[in-house]
Amino acid sequence: MATRTKSMDKSSGIRLSRRTFTKLTALGTAAALSGISSVGTSAAEILVPAASAAPAPGVKLVKSICSHCAVGCGFHGVIEDGVCTGLEPWTDHPVCQGGMCSKGTSIAEMINSETRLKSPMKKVGGKWVKISWTEALDEIANKVKQVQSTYGPDSIFWMGSAKMTNEECYLFRKFAAFNGTNNVDHQARICHSTTVFGMANTWSFGAMTNSWNDMRHSGLIFFCGENAANSHPVSMQHILEAKRRGAKFIVADPRFTKSAALADQYIRFRSGTDIALIMGMANWIIQNDWHNKDFIAERGYGFDAFKEEAAKYTPEVVEDITWVPAETLKELAYDWAHPPAAELGEDSVACICWAMGATQHTVGTHNIRSFACLSALMGYVGKPGGGCNAFRGHDNVQGATDMCILSHSLPAYYGLSDGAWKHWVGVWNRHAPVTFDEMKAKFAEHNGKSLINVKGLTDSRWYEGVLNTDEFPVNQPNPVKMAFVWGHSLNSITEMKKMKQAMEKVELLVGVDPHATIAASLADRPDGIIVLPASTVFEKDGSVSNSARQVQWRNTLVEPMYDSRTDYWIMKELATRLGFGAHFTYNSPEDITREFNLGMRVIMMKQSPERLKKQQQYCADFGVEDCQAKSGPCAGEYYGLPWPCWNDEHPGTPLLYRNDVPISEGGNDFRTKFKDAAQSTPGNPVSDDGVSMLATGGYDELNSDGTPGGGWKTELDEDFKDIIAQNLCPSGSGRMRFRAWNLPDFVPTHREPIESPRPDLIDKYPTYDDVADHYRIPCKYKTIQQERKNLVNEGFPLILTTGRQVEHMGGGAETRSCHYLVELQPEMYAEINPKTAGSIGVKHWDYVWVETLRGRCKVRAYVTERVNDQTVFMPYHWAGWFEGESYADRWPEGTCELALGDSVNIICVDGYDRTSNMQETKACQCKVYKF
Amino acid sequence: MTTYKFLNVIEKCINCGGCFAICKDTNKVPHGTARVKIVTINEGVPGERNIPVSCMHCTNPPCEAACPVKAIEQRADGVVLVDKDKCIGCGYCGWACPFGAPQYPHDLHGAAAEYEGIMDKCTLCVTPFVPGATLKSPQPKCAQFCSTKCRLGGDINEILPQYREAKARNIIAWQERV
Repeated sequence: MATRTKSMDKSSGIRLSRRTFTKLTALGTAAALSGISSVGTSAAEILVPAASAAPAPGVKLVKSICSHCAVGCGFHGVIEDGVCTGLEPWTDHPVCQGGMCSKGTSIAEMINSETRLKSPMKKVGGKWVKISWTEALDEIANKVKQVQSTYGPDSIFWMGSAKMTNEECYLFRKFAAFNGTNNVDHQARICHSTTVFGMANTWSFGAMTNSWNDMRHSGLIFFCGENAANSHPVSMQHILEAKRRGAKFIVADPRFTKSAALADQYIRFRSGTDIALIMGMANWIIQNDWHNKDFIAERGYGFDAFKEEAAKYTPEVVEDITWVPAETLKELAYDWAHPPAAELGEDSVACICWAMGATQHTVGTHNIRSFACLSALMGYVGKPGGGCNAFRGHDNVQGATDMCILSHSLPAYYGLSDGAWKHWVGVWNRHAPVTFDEMKAKFAEHNGKSLINVKGLTDSRWYEGVLNTDEFPVNQPNPVKMAFVWGHSLNSITEMKKMKQAMEKVELLVGVDPHATIAASLADRPDGIIVLPASTVFEKDGSVSNSARQVQWRNTLVEPMYDSRTDYWIMKELATRLGFGAHFTYNSPEDITREFNLGMRVIMMKQSPERLKKQQQYCADFGVEDCQAKSGPCAGEYYGLPWPCWNDEHPGTPLLYRNDVPISEGGNDFRTKFKDAAQSTPGNPVSDDGVSMLATGGYDELNSDGTPGGGWKTELDEDFKDIIAQNLCPSGSGRMRFRAWNLPDFVPTHREPIESPRPDLIDKYPTYDDVADHYRIPCKYKTIQQERKNLVNEGFPLILTTGRQVEHMGGGAETRSCHYLVELQPEMYAEINPKTAGSIGVKHWDYVWVETLRGRCKVRAYVTERVNDQTVFMPYHWAGWFEGESYADRWPEGTCELALGDSVNIICVDGYDRTSNMQETKACQCKVYKF
Repeated sequence: MTTYKFLNVIEKCINCGGCFAICKDTNKVPHGTARVKIVTINEGVPGERNIPVSCMHCTNPPCEAACPVKAIEQRADGVVLVDKDKCIGCGYCGWACPFGAPQYPHDLHGAAAEYEGIMDKCTLCVTPFVPGATLKSPQPKCAQFCSTKCRLGGDINEILPQYREAKARNIIAWQERV
């Protein structure tokens, strides 16, 4: 509370005497006040509760967007003398209606946190030394140059952040490109990368199809691997409203979550068996002929293959795999096909929602595909209240994903082909001269091939790129020698023991974050670490995209505190030192927005800063039911101009794939994205088995002149107004895929987790074959699954699964530094069933060890019926202890978080999604015993 | 005549802790003391419910009756306040209160240290922990920021219709499915 103590002191100095207090109470004062630091001069110096009324002189109320989850709640920061002294609700914010959870309401405390990193620090001779920004940046830039010239550009790993603004995310990807490497990645890899792959390979876009507010219209809301009450609290406002209107709310989860407590029905299933559950539902629906045959015939592809696979999942088979009784499954399938009338009557539809419970699996991509197919089976897509709602994690993880701080793509999912590079180099060239050949020359060659087109390392396994062991050799010219941890919590990545070794092995480790985090403290090394204080998201301007593709402008609340700098400034300074500063020098964040507006054509992020700011100003005009402005300067627009937003007049697309409204009013269709290159011709995209991928009455993607072709993705100066006026969707009108012929499993197929409690099912549903090169590193599947087949009989009988606490966020460095949140949630624990506790002689809140093949964690035992006697649950926000040993003395002085705990990612399994390299955190075998 | 109250639609409370944190932030309530706290019953089993508990500003406050030094007083608008100057920290109000709302903070620092052991509780955001400012129209921040709008706070005439609607329709929705 360093800075805010100022206001506390002020109030204590002139504080009214204890005696006068009662008198004043009786008298009352002129107006409402916030109660913070407004005491002192006179009773008139008063703060006002809502934006509608004028604040006191010298006090500003500034609109901002919460930095925690991807709901994108708004609030007003109370700014006094340049200090954020508190919050006021933003009651007409279309998404949150003023609501915020404990993390959001702690924002003022977090901005002013006394444990923030206050200046650049360098570890020298085992001690932390304060250095200047110039020294720090010079040293880092020189090291970058030295590593690039000695080992090549791929020997630096750039780990970016979903906590940056869209503008900074975009620049971060561009920054990696100018550094000549695709070794750049961020949290989306370990959060929803499987959602993007799964959804994009089914629907054609990889994002949440509907929106938070839209769930109010659902007849049935089905959570599978999502605990919104913990991870997206304010979204529950809309879900509970739907329930109040008569919707059925069903939660399927290995754990009886806080969301499950408020649901109409809770279904417990075994972690890692989502596909069996969903395919079982699909099968029962098909068997009973409840599916939507019109939708499938008109807009679907590959249904027969899907039906054939689904037929294997009879209710009895599903019961054996998932723990869900056959009768319950049948009822669930019936409910899914017949959602209660709720609000929409006969047109009632259902939506499915998930988060990391579904994504973080070795079969994550196929989990998501199964959800999308289940939704398509009933035609619940492109309709209010329907769709597939992926609840994303960070405030701007959707934006960071769209900007593709990802090792396999350039911004807007263009990929890494020469064509993609030429498109983006064309965009960058408009800001400062650069050619494709110049760009290509920055990249190294490996095995006779330019690495410009080769997917880079991912943040889920970046450490293997450093360690370069015989078991997991890295497929690039040299191993990683330097790593940037830029706004990323390392304790959210699994295999932390290996990561710790890697952090000890790199020549220089650079942390950039408002907090020192374990980037500073995890490695056992006397030197070779520099940490830079980045400003928080509230200390800069920029846009952020929430999970519903709604883009909002976030204003600066306060200037960067202490000696912190914005991520943009740090990038620009490094770029200047590395010789390409012109490409990173902008007059304002808005200039960066306009630059990516030009290039982000695949998803049409053409939301100009002016339009976003206008929406912020007139937010009260947007309705809570559909987020559309019915009147005022933004009339007709949808809040946040959800992409695709085709041009400067387009209102945004609130529901993806909705083809019963004009494109100009937010209509959309399945892209004609999937086509077999050898057989397809312009205008006639076909699948690998020769089936047309055009919807009934559909058409191929278009050039600006109306001819079939991919011009809509590359013609930078076209706004496609003519085509949209003819009610044609420039991205085409194609089919969604039940059968995805480019994935390891064409149709979602149950595969047992790497570590499973059922050896018999491993034989029946084995995992994938090992892969020699998975994002530059070999990846083991079958080998390790076979080696560990009998873990359940070898002392590891319990399933370990992980998840979130409402009070903490991500790796928790920020929230564990906040007094209020630490008071609510002070220690790391493992939830164990009373039976488990009884069997090992442990009482509630005793210390226990939770051990897996990777290591063990010392945590409190939280004895609860939330988990059954075969499951253990641990939250993943904790760090600072390592296998029971506190590392508190390793932080730079005064920067250690207020609450530390052992990290569950030390012990999570070493399994990775076969498509996206997502880490498995939700299913492995463990044992628990008394400390 | 305005009367201020809290009402909780407990079918909507998700125990997000927003009320707790914004109360701390607004009223500068020290660590270890809570003016509002969420109590969970039946945790982990069907029937689990969360209830935000704070001073309910009772119409006939038992704390007021129990106070031996007349430190507790109800304003005309219903807000129950304690005069921290008069309070002797005896704890009788804590015994009298059906909700356990009165807190007797300890281990306090800075400006708050003067109030070691002196009763503190919700004031509908009329005054922070260290008293010194008053407010004519109480604006309870916990209700304003409530993430699911389960906590209603303010003029009873305004919040009661909201409460009745939420509550009645929730009950109907439940009964249909039982």
